[in-house]
Amino acid sequence: MNLLFALVIGVLFGSGVFLLLKPDLFRVVAGLVLISNAANLTLMASGLTRGLAPIGRAAGDERVADPLVQAMTLTALVIGFAVTALLLGLSVSVYRSRHSVDLDELSRQQAADAVRREAREAPHDEEHELDESDEQRVAYHEAPT
Amino acid sequence: MTSVLTRMVSRALLAPTLVVAAAILVKGYGDVGDGFAAGIVAALGILLQFLAFGRDEVAAALPVRHARSVALFGLSVGVAVFAAPLVLGGAPLEHWPPATQTPVQIGSLELITAVVFDVGVFLLVLGSAVTIIDVLTAAGEDGR
Amino acid sequence: MPRRSRSQHLGVSASAGGAVACACAASATFLGGWLAGGAGIDVPWAPTWDLRLAFELDGLAALYGLLAAGIGVLVFVYASAYVPRHLADQGRSRREEARLHAAMVLFLVSMLGLTTAQDLILLFVFWDLTAVASWLLIGFDRRNRDARLSALMALLVTAISAVLMLIGILMLRVEYATTQLPELFAVARPSTTVSAAVGLIAVAALAKSAQVPFHFWLPRAMAAPTPVSAYLHSAAMVAAGVFLLSRIHPLIALDADLLDGLLVVGFASMAVGGVLALAADGLKRLLAYSTISQYGYVVTMLGVGGSSGAAAASFYVLAHALAKSALFMTAGTVTAATGAKSLRDTGGLARAMPLLAIASAAAVAAIAALPLTIGFFKDELFFKAALERGDVVAALAVAGAALTFAYMMRFWSGIFLGAPRAAPQPVERRLVWPVVLLAGLVLIGGIVVAPFAGLARDAAAATHAGAVKLDVAYHLDARAENLMALAAYTLGLLVLALRPVLEASLGLVERVGNRFGPERAYGVSLRGLNRISDRLHAVEVRDLRARVAAVIVPAAVLVAVGVAFTPTAGSYRIGNVLAADAPLVATLAVCALAAVAVTAPRRHLSLALTLSAVGFALATAYSLMDAPDVALVAVLIETIFALLFVGVFALLPGDVLRREAQLRVHRSRTVRDIVVATLSGVVTMLVVWAAFSRPQPDAAMAERHLELADDAHGKDVVTVILADFRGLDTLVEVTVVAVAMIGVSMLLALRARA
Repeated sequence: MNLLFALVIGVLFGSGVFLLLKPDLFRVVAGLVLISNAANLTLMASGLTRGLAPIGRAAGDERVADPLVQAMTLTALVIGFAVTALLLGLSVSVYRSRHSVDLDELSRQQAADAVRREAREAPHDEEHELDESDEQRVAYHEAPT
Repeated sequence: MTSVLTRMVSRALLAPTLVVAAAILVKGYGDVGDGFAAGIVAALGILLQFLAFGRDEVAAALPVRHARSVALFGLSVGVAVFAAPLVLGGAPLEHWPPATQTPVQIGSLELITAVVFDVGVFLLVLGSAVTIIDVLTAAGEDGR
Repeated sequence: MPRRSRSQHLGVSASAGGAVACACAASATFLGGWLAGGAGIDVPWAPTWDLRLAFELDGLAALYGLLAAGIGVLVFVYASAYVPRHLADQGRSRREEARLHAAMVLFLVSMLGLTTAQDLILLFVFWDLTAVASWLLIGFDRRNRDARLSALMALLVTAISAVLMLIGILMLRVEYATTQLPELFAVARPSTTVSAAVGLIAVAALAKSAQVPFHFWLPRAMAAPTPVSAYLHSAAMVAAGVFLLSRIHPLIALDADLLDGLLVVGFASMAVGGVLALAADGLKRLLAYSTISQYGYVVTMLGVGGSSGAAAASFYVLAHALAKSALFMTAGTVTAATGAKSLRDTGGLARAMPLLAIASAAAVAAIAALPLTIGFFKDELFFKAALERGDVVAALAVAGAALTFAYMMRFWSGIFLGAPRAAPQPVERRLVWPVVLLAGLVLIGGIVVAPFAGLARDAAAATHAGAVKLDVAYHLDARAENLMALAAYTLGLLVLALRPVLEASLGLVERVGNRFGPERAYGVSLRGLNRISDRLHAVEVRDLRARVAAVIVPAAVLVAVGVAFTPTAGSYRIGNVLAADAPLVATLAVCALAAVAVTAPRRHLSLALTLSAVGFALATAYSLMDAPDVALVAVLIETIFALLFVGVFALLPGDVLRREAQLRVHRSRTVRDIVVATLSGVVTMLVVWAAFSRPQPDAAMAERHLELADDAHGKDVVTVILADFRGLDTLVEVTVVAVAMIGVSMLLALRARA
């Protein structure tokens, strides 16, 4: 069973990484879901005992499944849910502000934005409370290009 | 627009879903399920309404806009159960009654503070899930 | 600067009133606490690390706390009139006033915490809080680039040096296993470690007090609105540095070299600040240089050390703070009335603004140490301490005092004497009477000096860690201090007379300082860091996904190397597959197949469906592993996910998704992705397999949980663990859910507002 679990976890993780490398934001989210599935299965499979469900058993019964890993997996599931919901929200909001969910395209857009912003950020002081206007102060305001 | 049948079934399903959620919550300490599962079940019932009727109609019929407050209230219930024993001089999250006493039972519901904690979790999960659904739906309708 | 065309009288806003009330309450508390002979709070904070929230209102705390709170009252009153004008001049909404007052109060509170903290870690926290508050305050004119950069400079210089301080604190903690100051004073012995640690802390303190070579941030910080300068740069922020030196002085005094270092830095700051103040033309800039110089005095006296040094330092801080904040406010009022910001544009205001002229004359006289003001005594003590240290120090002290005398006279005469340059507009009374009140205090202190001396004596006792003798009085005889004072006045007048001759060389000094001074180093390093960060950012942004691979691949390789070098005997057990496990094996196989299938579909809808197939297969597996609770939640979550994914895909416009689906990926890229994915999958498998092979099955764990669950009145052990045994985990977990909810709402609500 050890090997089998490890294999399945490996496949889940590998598929997740493959999706993570895609340019489509939603595929990246799906990849993260797969990876968190792999983590959940790892938690579940690391139980010290397998046996009956730990509900309504008295101590001294025949072997009972390890309840601790179950509780931990539950916690992990819930957090995975919250994180994935957040990622979905993030993707949607990226789409709404950029009209794209393509990471390559977003990267290009952002680089272009950065260049534009640097160009706009030329010194434009409205007023000086300092009396000197030493030139070298401007030196480190200039953005390296 | 969804078909008449879908809408009818969805409407009919809402009340039973909420009852199931309540049952899961109440029986949580003795049987399968807990506050989290109950919250998701209830949220699913409401999500069904969103799918069948659309956001505007649901917002008119159900108090969806209060979901955020419900969630935060749930969180504060959890924090209160966590912090109350501290004020009373115990360890954090110490539950009452202690091991030596038998709790009062009403049917299958045991009156222990752990159940209150679970109710907090339930409210939080319900509120959060409904908020997330609501916001995502609104975003999607915007994006069209 | 746009001149004000109308003189409006604006009322006091609620936030200003609140700030004044806070400062009044704080002053009353500190005054009461000091008169009552001190008070303290001490509660455990993080007991495992032996951290305590220990506050103690001793003499030192009373002095600096009263200065911060008391001058705070007057500055806040001043600000209530100044800030609305300032905002109106810049065409900003008056509502922004509240931001300034909030930051001022934050500053006040952190300053009070700083002065009373008895634990170095606690002190560090408040130290950084003052830096944050000062960043907010100096950068109050957000739209002004200069103000933003100045705020950043002040923050960087003080916060980076604060890191040195933290290192020093931790060194002390490692050495003596405590960060409580009283305990440290008791156990610390001279050693290299202690000297190094205290030296690091002292560097942070000197940077905060704008001492050479960190002085450059202070003149820049004059980009702040004037009330902020009057507060931070006279009584509070810069005073925090010398406060810290005074607080840890018993540790500094363990090493004579450290004391000598302070002496050198102090004299250097006196000289640099004094010369630059003599050269400066901007009103606030001159005052800023003067502050550098005056705190140089204090650092010098702390370097002299001993009873007389401690007494002189405390008294100097008290006298200087009163006078200097009055002068900053004078500068602000002059600017508000005439629009002039430099000595070049002012002059002859004595007739038009007599009250202000008299009041600021008193403040100037105090800093120049003329008799009948509190300032005379500060120099008397200073000369006395310097004499004890030796003739060279005494001579340097006279030279410093002469410089001070010269630039202070220049400041006042430049504004109020000479030919009138501009007709002043009438100003609110709130812009004048705080100055008058401070001047009154300065004059009272020149006659009835006992209460001030008492406050300073108590503070000095904490610095010196022992009783301190501090007597100040006028002595009409030819004692050394009096002669030194006379010499300083004479020399000062001489410097003032020679200033036109020196003008050219002064300008040269300033220019050389700007070109080769530490500010240049700051600029160069900042630019260098900026360039590196821009490069990195450009690389990251150009190909985000390649970066992901660049993180995953080395991680996988590292882990693989680790796996390869771990002894394998006994690990990698295959484990038994029982006949009863057949359904589980089948389910897991489905799960693996579905996971591979997720990578295939082009259409998003199919993607969502295969993804939920994986989830449901896993849920089934959980139920076959006898975990009904987990299975239930997994099914529910998968259901809601499926609906959410499908819903999002259905609601987004089809063309975007379709374009994405039809995107052809370059073949080499696909190959690379497959290699990376396979590699990471294999490594994960190996690690997980090795981990699973180690532990021995142990039924006691489950048994114990069953027994405990009985005590907790529960039958479902998993729920009991969640709600009871590990309830804190659950609380944190639901907090994550709440945060995610808030995050999603905020992310998606932004558009609605825009």
